[in-house]
Amino acid sequence: MKDFLLNIDRRIIFVFVALGVIIPSLTEFPLPIKPTSTVQSIYDTIEEIAAKNGTVLISFDYGPGSMPEVQPMALSVLRHCFNKKVKVVGMCLWPTGVGLAQLAFDTVSKEFGAQYGTDYVFLGFKPGYTTLILNMGRNFHDAFAQDLQGNRTTELAVTRNIKGLKDFDYVLCLAAGNTPDGAWIPFGQERYKFKFGLGCTAVMAPDQFPYLQSGQMNGLMGGLAGAAEYEVLIKTPGTATEGMRPQSIVHLIIILFIILGNVMYFLHGRQKGGA
Amino acid sequence: MNRDKLFFFVFLCLFVILNAYLLSSGKLAANWDGFGIIIAVGITLSLYSFLYKDNPLFKFAENLYVGVAAAYTLDQVWYTAVLADVLNPIFGLNDTPVDLVRMLPAILGLCMLTQLASPTISWLSRISFAFVVGLGSGLAIPRTIAANLLAQIEPSMQSLSASAEGFNLFVILVGVVTVLVYFFYSVEHTGAVGISSKIGIWFLMISFGASFGYTIMARLSLLIGRVGFLLQDWLKLQLPLF
Repeated sequence: MKDFLLNIDRRIIFVFVALGVIIPSLTEFPLPIKPTSTVQSIYDTIEEIAAKNGTVLISFDYGPGSMPEVQPMALSVLRHCFNKKVKVVGMCLWPTGVGLAQLAFDTVSKEFGAQYGTDYVFLGFKPGYTTLILNMGRNFHDAFAQDLQGNRTTELAVTRNIKGLKDFDYVLCLAAGNTPDGAWIPFGQERYKFKFGLGCTAVMAPDQFPYLQSGQMNGLMGGLAGAAEYEVLIKTPGTATEGMRPQSIVHLIIILFIILGNVMYFLHGRQKGGA
Repeated sequence: MNRDKLFFFVFLCLFVILNAYLLSSGKLAANWDGFGIIIAVGITLSLYSFLYKDNPLFKFAENLYVGVAAAYTLDQVWYTAVLADVLNPIFGLNDTPVDLVRMLPAILGLCMLTQLASPTISWLSRISFAFVVGLGSGLAIPRTIAANLLAQIEPSMQSLSASAEGFNLFVILVGVVTVLVYFFYSVEHTGAVGISSKIGIWFLMISFGASFGYTIMARLSLLIGRVGFLLQDWLKLQLPLF
């Protein structure tokens, strides 16, 4: 038994994890989801912008590999914006984000009857990362002369009066890579001093906290938990809220395996030491 | 037939039977959407088959993903950059005003491609690389120092106070100083320096633990997303069942 517990086949752990995901997905039990201050801050900022009929720039910098984590954030933020009549401009620093952003815009615009051109605009992908952001800050219409559909940005109601990044009331980056700390903050926020928020994968989240402390960003949604908190704030439960049940159960399973592994290692080590 | 081949055969049979049932019962639409879901399910299961062991199905799905992602990226770059920002302005296509200045960056870009051509002309790529390196360094160095160093020093040097915020600042201050001491190798880590260095290690360990916890959360979120797709979009279960 001791040898078995010290050398558990990883496939046994995989089976536990799989059951820990599938069974809570099939069943329903309530779990409290309390929004944290960093997520609340993004929500409050959009509420403030709604009061002055402002415009938000959302950068969809992720791809299918991070869709389960970041797409619920995109849907929730768009629902919040369209519900409060906040105008939205979408763009992508990652080419793989275009399809997912389009899907999010199509889904939420239908729910709220938002009109393309007057309520939202989608610019699509443009390469360049840092130079694109600098160009957007200097001359928005030069950086994005056309939207994804080929319309002139100088003629669309949402983008007509945007001269540079400073003219956006809020820039929200939904990211699965280094675009916030590698591009948006050093080349955008730090230079043009606009209000900046971030929704990112959980892997990235710990590295982004220093930017909250320094005030370079005012809000942070980290991973599926962050997305679930935003869904709670807009009172529209979605896949992130549903995902919190299996997430919590599997976390418990992993904690138990970590404790078991450490206890066995500790006991085994002591036996060896005593021999 | 060895065990692995038997697993593969059973898996394939189950997949075909289940899809045939879903299509015949009308749960899965017999159109391009339904076909797309079946393909996505097949690729998802092929990729997760790696958890059992490496196999040809996993390799096929992995290579397919790389190929599709490359083609999709090329498509996006072609329409939104090459066509919209280079060809249309240079040749005045699609009602775009002619802008011949764009020929200069276009030529620099073409020079980069000479790396792939004959060695006799590949030296031209150095001009483009020199431009990219020079521009990149010039842009990145001041911006990175301002955003990632100077802007981070300021909140680490705030005045301490007898409050919760003051305690947080104290923890940050101790963390910054002790971790810097840990990475300072010019002095032997003994006495006060050694104690400070050990505290620094604890801060680093806690930080690694937090990152590991977040990583687990991220990877599980992806699994939850895929399981949700299999249960809801493929098997058409109305979750939660109970």
